[in-house]
Amino acid sequence: MQKMLGNKRVIAFFTLPALLVFTIVVFYPILQTLQKSFYDWDGLSEAIFTGLDNYKELFTDDLFYESLKNGLIFAGILVVFQMGLATLLMFALMNKNIPFKRFFRSSFFIPVVLSVTVACQLWSSIYDPEFGLFNNLFQALGLNYRQNWLSDMNWAIVAVAFVNVWQFTGYQFTIMYSGAKSIPEDYLEAARIDGATNMQINLKILLPMLKDTYRMCFVFAITGGFNAFAHMNLLTKGGPGTSTYTLTYMTFRSAFNVGEYGYGCASAVILVAQCLLATFIINKIFSSKEKY
Amino acid sequence: MSAKKTKKYVLIALLILFSVICIYPLLYLLFYSLKTNNEIFFTNPFGLPMEPQFDNYVRAFNAFDLILYFKNSILVTFASVAGILVLALPFSYATTRMTWRFKNAAVFYITMGLFIPIQVIIIPLAILVKNMHLANTYFALIIPYIAFNMAFTAMVLSTSFRALPKEMEESAFLDGAGVCKTFLHIMVPLIKPAVATSLIFAFLNIWNEYTLASILISKTEVKTLPIGLSAFVGQHSTDWGAMGACFVISSIPTILMYLIFSEQVEKALTIGGAVKG
Repeated sequence: MQKMLGNKRVIAFFTLPALLVFTIVVFYPILQTLQKSFYDWDGLSEAIFTGLDNYKELFTDDLFYESLKNGLIFAGILVVFQMGLATLLMFALMNKNIPFKRFFRSSFFIPVVLSVTVACQLWSSIYDPEFGLFNNLFQALGLNYRQNWLSDMNWAIVAVAFVNVWQFTGYQFTIMYSGAKSIPEDYLEAARIDGATNMQINLKILLPMLKDTYRMCFVFAITGGFNAFAHMNLLTKGGPGTSTYTLTYMTFRSAFNVGEYGYGCASAVILVAQCLLATFIINKIFSSKEKY
Repeated sequence: MSAKKTKKYVLIALLILFSVICIYPLLYLLFYSLKTNNEIFFTNPFGLPMEPQFDNYVRAFNAFDLILYFKNSILVTFASVAGILVLALPFSYATTRMTWRFKNAAVFYITMGLFIPIQVIIIPLAILVKNMHLANTYFALIIPYIAFNMAFTAMVLSTSFRALPKEMEESAFLDGAGVCKTFLHIMVPLIKPAVATSLIFAFLNIWNEYTLASILISKTEVKTLPIGLSAFVGQHSTDWGAMGACFVISSIPTILMYLIFSEQVEKALTIGGAVKG
């Protein structure tokens, strides 16, 4: 038995292919990103070591601050609206008297399985300044209000973030709901017998017991906002102007449009640092609340 | 009517409102895929199509490279999912059931893959793909998809392998089967549910993957659906009906999969999420 399961050749045969693929495609590129962020590099010719120059340039680049700000706005909208809505929906469906639960759950989840391309195309036809659903709706209501949602310097980022809210609220909801469902019914029943109202049960029992679930949802919403790329690329291409740039978009543009690979790597490193920092802070906040 | 009843109806109304917000845009898409431009823009933007224009679907197939993108998506998704299983099944077996010195280190190493956002490695990966002369081939997508989904799959499979009793292997070895044979014919069939869950998760992820494909693929011949169809976004002044038809058709596989295996899909996606958090 031991001899069979300790067979070195079989172990090598079983694990080396996976380790090799992972090393070449994931691990080695991570090191490359980190290393190349200290180089002036166009992706083709020899890279030249320039120390912290890329980072210094980044910290004086207006586009960097705009991207950073947009990432924060995106993350903020996801936290408030995606998690807020998902929480309300979870409370509503935890109520015992609500019928058609399966139907509601499915309808919330269907946008999640769409590709981001379809979601964005759909919303770009809803936002369309001439023929879009919204503007048609205003017309039908007799309002003379017209809005070019995606070309407004200040509101484009919000319009883009709301497409993400629409698509993935059902996802956050499903995580919260399955978390809530796994809490033993006895706890909730005991509180009901003691005369607690549904709202009291939601706030005093459900939420504290879902702490780990919420920690995860926060990490999702915030790092998802920081990493946002696909929705911008599909809906606005970073525009109008640079008003919907995010760090990922900047990484992408530096490397593949402008040919500044080293600079792109530096913004990618900042992106990771930002996500790690956010995750660290979220974990700190959630673990300090443990001693209530 | 008591206050309790009122509250119940208010809650139901809110839930209905939100399901309308989720579902109506999709119906709007489905409806306009069957309408003429005139109907979408002016005469009937909201409702059911008056005279369904099935012609839009014919045009979707003829005028756009829809069949090509579909074929590419199927090919890339199936090859990637198969590749993931071929690598992750033996790996998780060897790291859970077999005895060797560095197995914890190996698991730890692969688990890092769960926490790396794709954006971080996109630049070196693009260069790597180019240097390996894989740019604009199916392998430019298949290999990264395998590498990126392996960590999660290995984790789900490991959990199930670990739960199996030792006797399974003991009796197989007594019957004279080797490790490879035991693994393939006895152990793998025992964890079919976990294989199904990770398969669904990988399928949905890869079928809908946009970011990597948009950067690594530029040639029409190898484009998958998400990037093939993205060319329409933002420049759809011409033929909304036929483009709507393209989007409807390209969403059918995942929606169908969800409607058939809804519990499984939700489980797969939320486990995936839980792990990545």
